[in-house]
Amino acid sequence: MNSYYLVNLLIFAGVDIIACLALNLQFGVSGVVNFSFIIFQAAGAYAAAILSMPPDTAPDFSFQTYVGGYQLAFPLPWIGGALAGALLAVPVGLVALRKLRSDYQAIALLVTSIIANTVINNARPLLNGAAGVANVPQPLSDQLNVSIRTYQFLYVGVTAICVAIVWFLAARIVNSPYGRTLRAMRENETAVAALGKNPTALKMTIFIVGGAIAGLSGAILVGFLQVWAPSTWLYPETIILFAAVIVGGRGNNLGAILGALLVPVGFEEVTRLLGGLNIGPPNLIPALEWVCIGLLILGFLWFRPKGVVPETRRVFPGAPAAPDETRWVLGKRAG
Amino acid sequence: MPVSEPILTARDIHRHFEGMHAVDGVSIEVMPGRITGLIGPNGAGKSTLLAVLAGTLPSSSGSIVFEGEDITRMPAYQRARRGLVRTFQLPSEFAQLTVLENLLVAAPDNRGESLLGALLGKRYWLPDEERLVAQARGLLKRFGLTAKESDYAGTLSGGQKRLVEIMRALMLHPRLLLLDEPMSGVHPSIVDEIAGYLERLRDEGLTILIVEHELHMVERLCDPVIVMAQGKVIGQGGMAMLRKQPEIVEAYLVG
Repeated sequence: MNSYYLVNLLIFAGVDIIACLALNLQFGVSGVVNFSFIIFQAAGAYAAAILSMPPDTAPDFSFQTYVGGYQLAFPLPWIGGALAGALLAVPVGLVALRKLRSDYQAIALLVTSIIANTVINNARPLLNGAAGVANVPQPLSDQLNVSIRTYQFLYVGVTAICVAIVWFLAARIVNSPYGRTLRAMRENETAVAALGKNPTALKMTIFIVGGAIAGLSGAILVGFLQVWAPSTWLYPETIILFAAVIVGGRGNNLGAILGALLVPVGFEEVTRLLGGLNIGPPNLIPALEWVCIGLLILGFLWFRPKGVVPETRRVFPGAPAAPDETRWVLGKRAG
Repeated sequence: MPVSEPILTARDIHRHFEGMHAVDGVSIEVMPGRITGLIGPNGAGKSTLLAVLAGTLPSSSGSIVFEGEDITRMPAYQRARRGLVRTFQLPSEFAQLTVLENLLVAAPDNRGESLLGALLGKRYWLPDEERLVAQARGLLKRFGLTAKESDYAGTLSGGQKRLVEIMRALMLHPRLLLLDEPMSGVHPSIVDEIAGYLERLRDEGLTILIVEHELHMVERLCDPVIVMAQGKVIGQGGMAMLRKQPEIVEAYLVG
């Protein structure tokens, strides 16, 4: 295995883990079926690209057209990417999450995703249309005087740190009273409102938090790939992440991480390798991949709806005989 | 006996569903410290009225005053925070949360319940959490569900789910409890138990408005009783008095 392949795999694993942790907060914990998830990753990627690139009049960049171009130093483009995801969540959330019933919310968000992709794809002056932005500078690549190979492993390290930070924050949310209220909202929104909680505010906050994390994942990805185009964030990408969270275990951060490793990373790698075997017509394997993703979702929803790592039962200290093998002490696992 | 002000006053409440008048000009008063019954045939508009009072459904017109404050335009969650708390006709437990967690969700004052509080970590909210766990365990003990503390609420029996809902509402320290058929779908042996709990809550000063079908329970618990039929109030007073009015007996039996 050559090292570029390995680095590539690790970066994608990190990005997918971050994305799945965010989607788990929204869908797994809070029950917000965010079928537009990928546009928040895209917003972060575009924002990070524009914040790190020079204006499109610069010599090496004049083959494309885009707004802005600020040449900010790392980590500002990544922070900007996270902010872009959060900011985008505000208008989208206000439109989709306030008045609509939850099943219509999902449809509205799916349509939003398709509209956003179509607009960016066709409005060339904005973000260079279907060709996308290219030549995005890699963070600190000018300042760091290291070999490409070392740089790539540094990038893996920074990605790993981001995964750790996001996991830490997601764990604090899931294991807190706030996370408990989000889970209650997932179970019965009307009842939560009848108990004095504002469901719209709850949904908006988690939508914005998830948007910010998704934005960060996009910023990490674009800094590595150096290109970002509408074809990389079509709506089916969201479905893959949903499959990951469902397979891994809804509501459980570990499940989301496992799901990210099993579905977008593991499953796609296996099918990609199969593609190299030249079986059947050229598009057979990619098409079958989608069939398999669909079957995977259906299979798990049917036979193991709680996923590989189900949500943990919370048992509080001093509880009478726990009915389950897993013990939790005020949100923390005990012996 | 001192003359008391009503805790809740609803005036001329209307609620239409696409031309159908589910609630058609209802005015009621709920007096503090009593269990007020709301009875009537199926489709009389009882549950709709309760939903309008709690803010689950907006009213088409009319006004609602709760403890001297006009709450007509207030969303459900704000009414609940003011102490106007409802339960539901269908079981509405948080199925994938444990019984104890169901109660803890309802607690109004936990520092860890905001996003910021959650991110600040356990040390920040643990004192609140421990206080509320103790409070919730007190309720579990009182309602005889201590052993079920760590069970998922979705696995409870119909009667136990009702009790969880009532305990959940009590975690908010309600001023007025709106109960929508708390005995429906409950094993007969538990019906008496629930009635006993409600009587004790009333004796402790809690005001309750209850929609109920079981007339012998209404007779035991409620004074006064409000009778609705076809979206209107057709009578109110003590149960014994209502039984003597032929038009009420007829509406209830025929409807």
